Amino acid sequence: MNRWRRSVGELQARRQQVTECEQALAALSKVTACFQQMASSLGSNTDGSGLREELADIRAMAHRIYTGLHKRLITLLTEMEQRQEDREQVERLWVLFLSSLETFQKDLQKTSSLQELFPLTQRRDRSTLIKTGYSGGSEVAARAATVQTPWVSGEEERCPDLQKQISRMDSLLQEMLQTVNVPVWTVEATQEAWLEVGKEEHHDDETLEDLMQVEVISQDSTTTGCCHHLNCRLGCLLCLVN
Amino acid sequence: MTIRNVHDCGQRHRPRVACLKKVEALVLEMQDPTSGVKSQTQRLVITTIPHALTGEDVVAWIAKRFNVDAAEGCAIGTMMVAFGYIYPLRDHKRLILKSDASLYRFQTPYFWPAQQWPVEDTDYAIYLAKRNIRKNGVLELHEQEQYNNLHKWLNHKWDFIVMQAKEQYRAGKERKKPDRVVFDCQERAYWVVHRPPPGSVSAMDLGLLRLIDPNQEESETSDYFRRIIIFTEQCIMRPRVKSSVSLGAIVKYITTYKLHDAFLSPVLPSNPWLTDDPAYWDLNSLTIDNPTRMRVERWTFSFGELLSDPRGRDGFRLFLKKEFSSENLAFWEACEAVKWGTASTIHEKAQQIYKTFLARGAPRWINIDGKTMEVTVRGLKHPHRYVLDAAQTHIYMLMKKDKYGRYLKSPVYMDYQRRATDPEAHNFTETQLAQNAKNRRPSLSPIILRQQEEEQQAKLEASGPVDLTQVMSKLDKRNMLKEGQK
Repeated sequence: MNRWRRSVGELQARRQQVTECEQALAALSKVTACFQQMASSLGSNTDGSGLREELADIRAMAHRIYTGLHKRLITLLTEMEQRQEDREQVERLWVLFLSSLETFQKDLQKTSSLQELFPLTQRRDRSTLIKTGYSGGSEVAARAATVQTPWVSGEEERCPDLQKQISRMDSLLQEMLQTVNVPVWTVEATQEAWLEVGKEEHHDDETLEDLMQVEVISQDSTTTGCCHHLNCRLGCLLCLVN
Repeated sequence: MTIRNVHDCGQRHRPRVACLKKVEALVLEMQDPTSGVKSQTQRLVITTIPHALTGEDVVAWIAKRFNVDAAEGCAIGTMMVAFGYIYPLRDHKRLILKSDASLYRFQTPYFWPAQQWPVEDTDYAIYLAKRNIRKNGVLELHEQEQYNNLHKWLNHKWDFIVMQAKEQYRAGKERKKPDRVVFDCQERAYWVVHRPPPGSVSAMDLGLLRLIDPNQEESETSDYFRRIIIFTEQCIMRPRVKSSVSLGAIVKYITTYKLHDAFLSPVLPSNPWLTDDPAYWDLNSLTIDNPTRMRVERWTFSFGELLSDPRGRDGFRLFLKKEFSSENLAFWEACEAVKWGTASTIHEKAQQIYKTFLARGAPRWINIDGKTMEVTVRGLKHPHRYVLDAAQTHIYMLMKKDKYGRYLKSPVYMDYQRRATDPEAHNFTETQLAQNAKNRRPSLSPIILRQQEEEQQAKLEASGPVDLTQVMSKLDKRNMLKEGQK
């Protein structure tokens, strides 16, 4: 069939699929970021069965997203139409998806070994949890729960447990590298270096150094010229208060 | 995409760090609510954060646990900080444990160092991008360089990196403020350990990687058994020495070298690795006029010591020149050049040596016995790296038995002893040490050092060897003149 005879409908359907994949990739990114934030509390004093259940939920969500995305990208790439503009974009999505999966798999492996190291099955296991200074809370889990897959769910399988998920992801990555021939080095970044600076809005965001300023006790009265002039001003205030 | 699924022999396996498991066990012990380390609260301007530790508490706990003194406890604590299990809240770039009231905190297990997973550049790129977003582009100098490098090499996944950095930043903002501060401190400490800024010494700087994966069990194939058989055969063939003899040799070696070993006795003026002051290296450089007393003393230990120190060789060369036997040392040095030089130059170097030293009537003829000469000349027809080995050993023994003893009693050597410098020990205070650490600069580039070496070599050759034929011809001329006069 002459490709000029392709219906407009087909083209639109394909474009819609590609946008769906992009949205799914953004969602996967969000979910993996939340997973990482929460995994950093594993083994700390805020660790508990609640945290681990939340992690399992996020894992399941990620599983749904990436299995669906994998299927869709495979079908997009194996449709053998050699249209250039589309192909580049889909290949780019493929490479980004691959990197995303690898990073997530590493996080899963770390989670698995940490859960082994801190089993939490008995009461006395809680005494070995590391005192890190966290106070806990499920804000990040709430954020992860707001993520939705851009397609209608229902056809996926249940999420396997952690070990199985890791090994399945291994085979998934292997399969991805072998089925489709996408040269990784041809993908170029769409944005320049240093461009992400200042794009996010931070209302009251100070730097870590500012946040870490210690309250000046009025005892050391000699030098008010300590590290930061902001600190000094506050120090003087405290002195006045005392 | 990292090409991780390919089993490559590109030496990507990190050395085994078996101590990590032991340090982890220690950290878990420290958490015990009754017998662990006391925790305090850190008061910040905006909030208070619990679970801070003072350095002196940690040192006291370690000293009690292992029944050691405070200095040793401090050293063990510094090791824990250097590995990244405890991080300092002030002065976060210096990974040491100070046994005073300065505050530290435990690192969360997610950021603990692990032997089986390398620290990926992708994660570092995400971290740098996050800091960029947060600090509006103000990164430190080394971080900026790393950022630019990573942008170049990870360009294919750069979009993923930026996307992930933004999402992690937004996810982090959801948390309560104290938790945010704690997490940011933890992440920053993690990257100080694994990508140390210039001036930090971290214990995870593991150096060269191994050829094989130390975590993998070796499969028992026929190659493996062949290796084991060869190994055991060589063990049987090895010459054996009575333990009393070998122990005697060890004792002798230790008594001789005890004061010269930088690990066992303090180095004068100060050990540059500890105090960041390069005076020791400057005083012991290759081109110095007056070597230090320790160096001059080391030349008396053995002939090998004298020859291995280029400055010692200079002195020896001077002495031999006065005795008109400098061709021996020149021959020895030329043989070393053949042994250690590039394979393409072996042939011409060997020919040069033959013409200069070995041929009949050569300008700098060396005195070796007939048999060795025959073997060497025969070997020179097909020269290889070790063709001059026999002759070199002969000359080495000659110099050692005859000239070495005379050198140590000669005025040249006495002069060195007289002029030897005796540097005073530095006694740096804490602030001076910190200042030294800030002032660390890279040394001269090896290219410049090589150029200097070559210049020196050229100067040496230009000053002219004692050419035997010229000397003989001069003597002949003088004789003929005398006879002419008669």
